[in-house]
Amino acid sequence: MSKMLMVTPGRCIGCRTCEVACAFRHAEAGVPGRSRVQVRTLAKDVWVPILCLQCDDAACVQACPVSALWRNAETGAIEVQEDRCVRCNVCVVACPFGNMTVESPKKAVIKCDVCGGDPACAQFCPTRALEYLEV
Amino acid sequence: MLNLDINGRRVTVRKGTALLAAIREAGFEVPTLCHHEALEPYGACRLCVVEVREEGRDKTRVVTACNYPAKAGLQVETESEAVVETRREVLDLLLARCPGSPVIRELASSMGLHRSSYPPDQNRDNCILCGLCVRVCEKLGFTAITMAGRGAEREVAAPLKEPPPDCVGCGSCARVCPTGNIPLVDRDAMRRIWDRDFEMVRCTSCGRAYITREYLESRVEASGLPASHFELCDECSRSRTAQTMYRHMVLDDKEASHE
Repeated sequence: MSKMLMVTPGRCIGCRTCEVACAFRHAEAGVPGRSRVQVRTLAKDVWVPILCLQCDDAACVQACPVSALWRNAETGAIEVQEDRCVRCNVCVVACPFGNMTVESPKKAVIKCDVCGGDPACAQFCPTRALEYLEV
Repeated sequence: MLNLDINGRRVTVRKGTALLAAIREAGFEVPTLCHHEALEPYGACRLCVVEVREEGRDKTRVVTACNYPAKAGLQVETESEAVVETRREVLDLLLARCPGSPVIRELASSMGLHRSSYPPDQNRDNCILCGLCVRVCEKLGFTAITMAGRGAEREVAAPLKEPPPDCVGCGSCARVCPTGNIPLVDRDAMRRIWDRDFEMVRCTSCGRAYITREYLESRVEASGLPASHFELCDECSRSRTAQTMYRHMVLDDKEASHE
């Protein structure tokens, strides 16, 4: 059985704890990273946390000209191989869900890697709008 | 699989592994400027020098680890006197070539070199001729820029030193350049790189200019993905995803209330 990050937007209260948890989990040398999850406000009291869907037939993987995106067999998440990324940013444009992000022009692109199997967002979400579940 | 010794530690790697990869796998650090995992080793920056002794030989050699294959029985030193001396000399020369480059200055000062023993070249830019830009351009299938000239005249240039006709303005060369020597300017939905101006495509939703037209067209063709994948900027794609999820949520609620 593999696990997946499940989003239940109806439970989201827009507190953005997931964003903070993500930024801190992806901190480098004490500096928080850019969050891989983003909470979008759609209407009054309606929020949707958006993060990588780990598509089976992923556009980012298909678009990458240097095979810098691979699926981690253990977690099922697509991961950026930072030292292979040539910063061409085509995946950022190709992802139809907008889940590839440029953190800084000089750095490799970033995306949700389910924190290697222990996603911080789900761990800290107070309302279980984000859950890491067996599927 | 083959065994070799790195700084006295026995390491097992697959046949065909480059020495640099074996060293890094073993947890040792070797500085590099021209190396990139997605590209063929090039051996231009000479910073990854290490000292090796091949099996059955008495003499040691100083070689560049990036393009030297890991061999069985190889004894490798990454911080020996010969290595440190060679690396220092390389940095001394790089520092004379690019006295204004923060990256080079930082590397040099980490080896105790604060000024070059050679007369600094004040008239040059920060190009160290590592060829990363040329190689990444080739890897992406454009080959818009090349190495030109010989000896002291060697430089990265576009054919005939004119704005390169094969460039699509993707900007990868500028981003991989270790010394940040390639200017890329985005202004008013135009991108300027290699003295050429590119029209940028605007996101059909928010209007932000996010990719050059040439790059967009070449990537749609190369990836085989539908062009519709590329029509929004990443921020607007994310908004669309949020709206889709919200719509499904509302539909789910309606279905639930009907039951």
